[in-house]
This record gives sequence, structure tokens and C-alpha cells, in this order.
Amino acid sequence: MSRISISLTVNGETKEVQTEPREHLADLLRGTLLLTGTHIGCEHGVCGACTIEIDGVPARSCITYAGACDGATVRTIEGFDDDDVMAALREAFAREHALQCGYCTPGMLVAARDVVLRLPDADEARVREEMAGNLCRCTGYRGIVRAVLSVLAERKKGA
Amino acid sequence: MKPAAFEYARPKDWSDALQLVADGARPGTGTQSLGPLLNLRLAQPETIADLRHLPDYAGVTVAGDVLRIGAGTTHAAIEDGIVPGRVGAIMAAVARRIAYRPVRNRGTIGGSLAHADPAADWVAVLPALGGTAIALGPKGERRIPLAGFVLGIFETALAEGELLRAVEVPVLPESARWGHWKFCRKVGEFSKATACLLRVEDAAPRAVLAALDGPPLVIEDARALVADPTGEAARVVGEVEGLTPWRSAVAQAALRHAVEAAT
Amino acid sequence: MTSSESGLGVGASLRRKEDARFLNGQGRYVGDITRPGMLEVAFLRSPVAHARLRSVTKPAGAESKVFTIDDFPGVGTIRANSALPGFRISEQPVLAKDKLRHVGETIAACVADSRAAAEDLAALCELDYETLPAVFDMRTATLPETALVHDHWSMNAFLETRRDDDVSGLDAIAAAKVTRTLKTSRQSMAPLEGRGVLAEWDSRLEQMIVTTSTQMPHVTKSGLADCLGLDEGQVRIISPDVGGGFGYKGILLPEEVVCASLARRLGRPVRWIEDRFEQLSASANCREHHYILTAWADKDGKLLGAECEAIVDAGAYSSYPFGACLEAAQIGSILPGPYVLPLLRCHTVSACTNKPPILPYRGVARTGVCYAMETTLDALARKLGITAEAIRLVNLVPPEAMPHRNLVGKVFDSGDYPESLRRAVKAIDIPAVRKRQAAGETVGVGFATFCEQGAHGTSVYHAWGIPFVPGYEQSHVRLSPDGVLEVRVGVHSHGQGMETTLSQVANEVLGIHPSKVRVVHGDTALTPYSTGTWGSRAGVMAGGAVAEACRQLSVRIAAIGAALLQVSKDDVVVEDGKVRRKDTDSSVSIADVARTWYRAPQNLPRDVDKGGLEITAGYRPDPDTGTHSYAAHAVIARVDTDTGEVVLEDYVIVEDGGKLLNPMIVDGQVLGGLAQGIGTALYEEMPYDEMGQPLAGTLADYLLPGSSDVPDARLEHMETLSPWTTFGQKGIGESGAIGPPGAIINAINDALASIGAEVMDLPATPERVLAAIHLAKSGKQ
Repeated sequence: MSRISISLTVNGETKEVQTEPREHLADLLRGTLLLTGTHIGCEHGVCGACTIEIDGVPARSCITYAGACDGATVRTIEGFDDDDVMAALREAFAREHALQCGYCTPGMLVAARDVVLRLPDADEARVREEMAGNLCRCTGYRGIVRAVLSVLAERKKGA
Repeated sequence: MKPAAFEYARPKDWSDALQLVADGARPGTGTQSLGPLLNLRLAQPETIADLRHLPDYAGVTVAGDVLRIGAGTTHAAIEDGIVPGRVGAIMAAVARRIAYRPVRNRGTIGGSLAHADPAADWVAVLPALGGTAIALGPKGERRIPLAGFVLGIFETALAEGELLRAVEVPVLPESARWGHWKFCRKVGEFSKATACLLRVEDAAPRAVLAALDGPPLVIEDARALVADPTGEAARVVGEVEGLTPWRSAVAQAALRHAVEAAT
Repeated sequence: MTSSESGLGVGASLRRKEDARFLNGQGRYVGDITRPGMLEVAFLRSPVAHARLRSVTKPAGAESKVFTIDDFPGVGTIRANSALPGFRISEQPVLAKDKLRHVGETIAACVADSRAAAEDLAALCELDYETLPAVFDMRTATLPETALVHDHWSMNAFLETRRDDDVSGLDAIAAAKVTRTLKTSRQSMAPLEGRGVLAEWDSRLEQMIVTTSTQMPHVTKSGLADCLGLDEGQVRIISPDVGGGFGYKGILLPEEVVCASLARRLGRPVRWIEDRFEQLSASANCREHHYILTAWADKDGKLLGAECEAIVDAGAYSSYPFGACLEAAQIGSILPGPYVLPLLRCHTVSACTNKPPILPYRGVARTGVCYAMETTLDALARKLGITAEAIRLVNLVPPEAMPHRNLVGKVFDSGDYPESLRRAVKAIDIPAVRKRQAAGETVGVGFATFCEQGAHGTSVYHAWGIPFVPGYEQSHVRLSPDGVLEVRVGVHSHGQGMETTLSQVANEVLGIHPSKVRVVHGDTALTPYSTGTWGSRAGVMAGGAVAEACRQLSVRIAAIGAALLQVSKDDVVVEDGKVRRKDTDSSVSIADVARTWYRAPQNLPRDVDKGGLEITAGYRPDPDTGTHSYAAHAVIARVDTDTGEVVLEDYVIVEDGGKLLNPMIVDGQVLGGLAQGIGTALYEEMPYDEMGQPLAGTLADYLLPGSSDVPDARLEHMETLSPWTTFGQKGIGESGAIGPPGAIINAINDALASIGAEVMDLPATPERVLAAIHLAKSGKQ
């Protein structure tokens, strides 16, 4: 079985890791780097639980393989502590009861942050469309949609 | 399920990439379509040749009245307007409805075409736009009209050892009218029927019906469809074999809606 | 000031204590936990639905890493026997021995350093088997010529039940009679996190420690100990953060037994994490019901009686602990729903098929029964030319009849059922729908009214014959030396926010700030025995137990506090985290009381209770026949007659869950249930082909509702207290998932009424809707 050595920057730190080419990034982050905030929900790119940031944009870590990440910059839910938008989203998620079991939450937050930054004018229908790639089995989405909309509104007011 | 073991290779240049493919490597770019198959062990390549770092693999160049879109251009880049003009506007709207943004950030136009899922979006849209695939083989580049590119489920006109390097799409006048309609029950789901219609002044309208489990059906002269959408949609769809009554109904609706949107 | 006025106790929409860890990626689920030397497990699973297994050949050179049932001679089968007469017993082997009974059944366990390498081993195993005809359709499963899933049975049925009221005279007196044949699809509960097991043997304690994603750790412990031949003290179950349950995580898994056996045999920790493909194709499913329902009514729509032939596809095995018959056996008792039904004749079959076992999913049988009853009621209304509202209003149990005992002996505790419907009617814009219909639009409005028995106890479950009958619920409370209250409960919270609501309950009784209350759950070594979190019982049962334990603790705190204040214990009250003299404002804090007990016992009164500041108290509502929350759902649906697509335009729920412990969390439960109910109504289906092969292996095939598929529902609450529970709260966790299929299909059928089309089978996919339209149109021609 072949092993490869790759280098990637994770949450601001450069890491050299040994892995197998077939290992996907979610397993690498969770198993080798012990960043277990990234969750695995389907491994088919559908549910969005594994959504993280790769090279500055959200991506599915379950269908992105280790070799392809050599040289990449990765940010996981553990790497947003100094991020204003993430802080606002976390506050809004708690206020709007946008999470129950918490399993979809990290991926949901990474996707939501991208929506807030990329689509400052998004309305409810657009937010629902844009968040459709992240499944939640608990909340029925109302809290999630309201949380994202409330952060969009706050930022508009602040702008 | 985890993938069966494979080797990873990152070719430095195109000749390196061609050599890898000649040696049996499976090209991979974003692995957004391949990944699920790997994770179900439905695909078990020995080697994946990661094309993403090849020079000129992503990006758009304009040469006269032709747009050349690198096969490694992501759906997200297209959604965000990397393709200029009327074609860019059409393609941006299509891109926005491919899967989900995190998938679009890594999935590429060339990867999607070469993967040749009949339900995929560019498989339907690019033939309608009159696009051409630029294949690269050991003997150099070859042009394949996209209308004949996808031959079946996961089957393309690329020859053994060829790579999809770019697609070319003719520039469209701002006055070009475009209709695109696909049936998905859920956002980001694979389409159950897709239809496109392009209308440019002084030329016959071109239509495509796709996502019916086989290659896209290209209607180079769709004047009859424009004149009688209901009747012609029924006739066209009626000739497609193996459709359930529902699939047939949705396909007809797709054609009618595409005509309506392009009017 | 009472606690609820402080905004922290019962009734407050307190933000959840559990959120911080989840929002920061610090939740800890089974898959996040590793141990040194841990091995990963992959299972070789049955590729066929029904076969005689001749042999399993292990890969050459890897024989020591692959285990079949022959490697575990002492391990027992999983059994869950119903107490009802006529039940046929199944034994579920943890690894198949000589027969394969469903696709995905475990055959061998393969261990390796990584899951991928373990799967490589599974792929190298060779199977020799003789394929048998698959029993894939519950409607034909019981026919005489059908292959037998269990060879020694006389027919493919776990159980039949009957209720035989005489309905033969109703044809003569009824103004209307309708019969409907209805089917709900097999579903996967599909929590975002699958199952997962980490097993390790502690040689010092001689104890099997199993960390597993379960919603009922104690019951799992009992079942596991039984299969492993260990005494119960030798099994400890830890259920850490659990990524959604919905019933899916309520059974003992063959995989749990196998992992524990492997850990013991190998002397190393082993872990198996279920992946989505396994969950969809191999693990337990839910909801597959078939009904032929006939109802009779007088000219006003008043029900005269009903007759029901029901079949539930229970799959191949009776899974522990709920068994194969929980759903079918209760259909007869829940068919009357919230209505006054004078006569009921009902025959049910729990069919045995070559599919994974069935599990009680959120709503259990009620979702299917409510669907059948509500659509049949609408069909009656259409036949009589009265409205959907009218037929319900004449049949709903009126408030003046409460508490009400219905014909099957269910006792409704409290509420104004008709009022919930009247409010829903008022909230949804029926005139606008009628106007659009007149203009030719295929849009419709639909209603469903139902009640949900929750927290029902011994008397009810005993009658349903389930092997694990719930009784009393305990809570253990411990006041720590620093004044922090530890609350230990045997139920498990996996999204329900019980770390918050139970803190609120403690606050309500003792006034301790919820941030100073630590709710401990998910570890059988730390918590009192409990039948677990299911059946909409935790809010009532654990809430009641925590309140009772806190109340008893309060008496002891008062005694010590009074001594410190140098007054009689009758002259103090415990509130707001303090023991206060009734006559003055002087007080000591509960923390002072705790410090005195632990660190300054010289200051304790002579007659102090020697039990100290730890109490285990038990609770059971009296009577224990259950609370009945109830709701009216109203929905507006638009149907595209070209494609059969259904769009939900508006959704209203008027719900009465009694006292809401935390209204924000209750809303979350109802809305989450609604999304799942929409899944049942429109999207979710696990089809099987005639070979018994499941046809949906990914979430691209098994469609879960996403954010753009669920409308922004409007919720209204009524708050009629239950007279039988601590705070008047009622079980409400499943309610949201019960009403949607009935309401939505009624709205679709209202939209299609002008065409004369009617949808019967769930989910109402575009294909089914269009087929119904085509059928109606062809019938007219």
C-alpha cells in the first residue's frame, strides 16, 4: 500500500503528514490531525456535514483526497475563532435555535459564512437555495435560515 | 465505504499527463463526480492523475468570436462571471444550479463533461450553445463538436489516451435568446429532464433535450418546436425509447418551458 | 419571585447550554473518539436478500483478521419476544450462520488498522450460497406458497391481532361509506450521524466498555450483557454526543455485539463506524404500512364505525428491545385518533420479509395511522359534500368530555381538540384557495388533526406486548461542595436540549442558576437505570424525576439552612438558590449549605438527614396512561399538473403540548418533526426490487428534505396543562412528524378534486401524482 507525504496549512499552521492517496481530507483532518469538528455524514458529497474551507472557499472534504491537498490551505470549524462573521453566526445560531444534535452544525456554519460574505443581498428564498447543500435532520431549517438572514441584516445595518 | 487503494500523480505538464493516461491513469480534477464513485468502490482506478495544476487548465481566453474555456475552470468561477458577454451570462445562470456551491468550488466544466453523466448540466447546455470540445492526445489537439461528445452513460467521444483540455463556445450577440429548464425535485439534485433552446437572429433555433439516461438529443433546426411547442415536444419525446410516462411528461414540459423562456 | 418569573425556570425560552460546544466543533461523537491500539472493523454483508449460506472463505493469509459466527461460540442471538399470544419468535444472529435473510445482513467482521484496509479484507472474502426467492412484498408475504424467511414458521407473520366489533349493520344506516387502500413507503430515519461502536475490555474492572451512538444506553446494556453472557455489571455503555436518533438509535445492533466480542477476544479496542451506504442499505428501516380502511358516517359526517385491514412490513427479525410488532399491534388502538369512534373492527399483520428489521421511527405507527384516517375522513367529506373542517369538528372529542376514555380504552387527559382546528382554519387562507381553484388553479388546502400519546407507561406498553415495558423513571441529584448541582438521568439527550430543560426544572424547584446545574447523561456507570429517550417520554418522565429529586433535596437543604439561620425548618423557604427566612430577608446560599455538609459538618443540626445532599428519586405520572398532546395541521399545496410536482405554499400548526418546559426547544422539536413529516409525505422512500435489493444507497437517491423544501411554518400554541404530570407538560417530541402526510395529501387531493384524482400512496412523488392525474383523466374518457 502506497503512502505519500503531503504538506498543508491547517488553521494557520503548516503540517507535514503521512497518508494514503485514497484517504479523503475529512478522514485526514479527523484521524491524523485530531480536528474532529469536521463531521462525516455521507461520503458522497450530498449532505454537507464535512464542508470546510479549502484555499479560501467552502468545499466537501469527503470527496477531496489527500494528494490533491498537497500545498493547500485548509480551515476547519476549529479555525474561525477570530472571525467576525463566524462569531455573529454562532451567536445567531444559538439565538434562533438553529441546531439540535449539532452534527450538521460545523459544515452548516462554514457554508453559511460563505453565503453571508458572497451574497450580502440574499433574501430568504436565496438563503434557502444556497443552504440546500447542507442537510439538517433535526431543526426543519427555520432557525438556520433565520440565523443567516439575521446576520445578513446586521451586516447591512453596520455597513 | 472507503475507496480501494489508488496511486496519486500530479503531472507537471501536458505531456506528463498524456503519458500517465497512456499508462492507464484515470484523469481527475475536482473529484466531485468521481469521489462518490470511489467512496462506493464503484470506480477502482489504479492511479488518479490530478490535472488541476496543469498550465492553462483553468481560465477563459477570447480569440475573435470564440471563447476558449479551460477544462479545469470551476463551476463556481463560471457562476461568478469568468466567462464574458452573453454566453457568460447564460453559463453563469446554469452554473448556479449545479449541485451546491461547495461542490461548484472544486467541480470543473471539463471534469463534468468527461465524466459524461447524462443528467449533468454542461452535457446539455454546451451542445445548445454550439460548443466544441478540444481534446488533446499524443498527436496533438482534436476538435469534437459537443453535440456528439457524450455518447452514453459515462461514455464520451474521447479516444483512449485523450484528455479534455478545453471547450470552445462561439460568442453570442446580446440579442440572443436563451431558454433552459430542468426538472429537479430538490436544489442541486441531478436533473430528470433538461431542455435548452438558443435563438439567434438569422439562424435556425437550436434545441437540446437531455438528462434522459442517454446522450443529449440535439435539434439543430428547432423551428418546428418554436412554432408548436406542445405538439413538437410530444413528437420529439415520443421518439425517445424507454421513458416511463412520467419521464415523458417531464421531458415534454422541459421542452415547452425552454421554448417559453426563450421567447 | 418565582423561578419562571426569573426567566430561567420552567417555561423560559432559555438558550441551550449544549450549543457552545457544537458551534465550536467541540461536540464529541463516537467517531471522534480513538484509543491506542484500536482496530477498525468492516463487515462483510449479505449481497442477497434470501439465501442458504454454505460457506465463507477467509482471504488467504488474513484468516486471523476475519471472524465469522463460528469464531464466537458463546455469543447469543438477539431476541425480542412479544408477550402477545401467537407471536412467532425470531432469532437474529449477530453474524449470519446458515441463512441470509436480508441484504446487508452481517456475515463476517474484518479488522485492520484502518477502515479502508478492513474493507479490503471484506472484499477478498468469498461467499458460497444458494439463493432463495426473496419475500419482498408484505401483501403477498403471508400467502401459502411464499418462501419462508424462518424455515420453522408456518407463515411469514410475526403476529396477527384482531378487534372484532360488529360493523355489519353500518351499511344499512350510514349516509356515506368509503374505502381507501393506502400505503406508506419504507423509510430510513437517516440521522445525520450514523451508528458507531467503540468497544474495549477493561481487564481491571472485568468490564466491557462500549461507547456507542445510542438513545437508550441502559436498555442496550441489558441486551448486550445477555448476548455476551456477562452480568449487567460487566457492561458499561457510554453514549456520548449522538448526532440525531429519531428511533434509529433505539435498538441493540448485531454490530455492537460483534465489536464487544472482538474487543474481548483480541484484547484491543475495536471500532465500527456505520457509513451512509450501510445505513441506507443494511440497517433497520421504518414506516412501511399498508391499509385497507373503510369508514361509515351519517349525513353530518359523524363517524359510525371503521374497519381496517393493516399490514406492517416488519422485516426479517424482531429487533431488541421494541420487537417486530410494536407498530402493527398498536394500530387498532390508535386508529380512533382524536375522534369519537363508536365501532372498530381491525385486523393487523406484522409481516416478516427479507428486509432489515423495522424500527419505531418518530411518531411510530401514528404517522401511518393518522395518514390513513385523515385521508379517509376527507374522502368521506367529499362524498357527503361537507368540508374537511366540518367532518373533523363533529367527530373530535369535545373539551367537556375530558378526561375522556375512548372505545379502545385510551384516556385523553385534557385539551380542547376542536379549538386547535378552529384556530388552524382561521390561520390558513381558505377563501384565497377557493378563489384560485375557481380560476382553474390546481391548488388545495388540507388538514390533519391528531393526538399523540406520550410518556405512556406500564399499563399501556404491557398491553402492547413489548418486551421492554417502561415503569418508573429515576433521577439522581447531588449537590457538590461548591454549590453546583449535578443532575444524573438515564435518558439521553441527542438534540432535545435536555441539558438545558432539565437545568430549568432544577432551577424551578431549587432556584439554582441553570449555569450551576450540570446535567449528566449518556453513561450507564454514572446514571440511574432508564428505558431511555423514546416515545415522547423524556420531558415528562425525566422532567418529573428531576423535579422530584430536587424537591426531596430541597427538604434536606432547608433543614441544614434553617440550622445555619438558627430557626426552625418550618420557618424557611428554598428559592432563588438560597435558604431564606420567611419573616426576614436573611438567608444562606445553597452553596453555604453544601459547604457545611461536606466541609464543616460540626455546624450541621443533630437531626440532619444522614443521606446527605445526594438523592435518587423516582417518578411516574398517575395515572400512567400517558399524556395526549394534540395538534391541527393545515397546509396549502400547489400541484403542477404537467410534472406532478407539489409545492407547499403555507403551513400552519396549532399545537397543545401542555406546559412547555422551554418553548424555544418545543418549537424546534415540532419544526424538526414537520420537516421529517414532509419527507414522509413527499420525498423519502426506500424501494426494494423483486430480488429484495434496496435501490437507494446514497442521499442522492434517498431524498431528505433540504432548506428549500420546507416552508417557513407558522406555529401557534395552546397550553392546556396535563392534570397528571409535574408541571402539566405533555410529551410532544414526535408530534411534528405525525400530521404532515395526512395534511399534505389532503391538500393535494383537494387541489386535484376538480380532476377527480386522488393520491393514495406515500410519498406523493411527482411520478405518483401524475399517475393519479392520468388515471383520473383516462377514467373520464
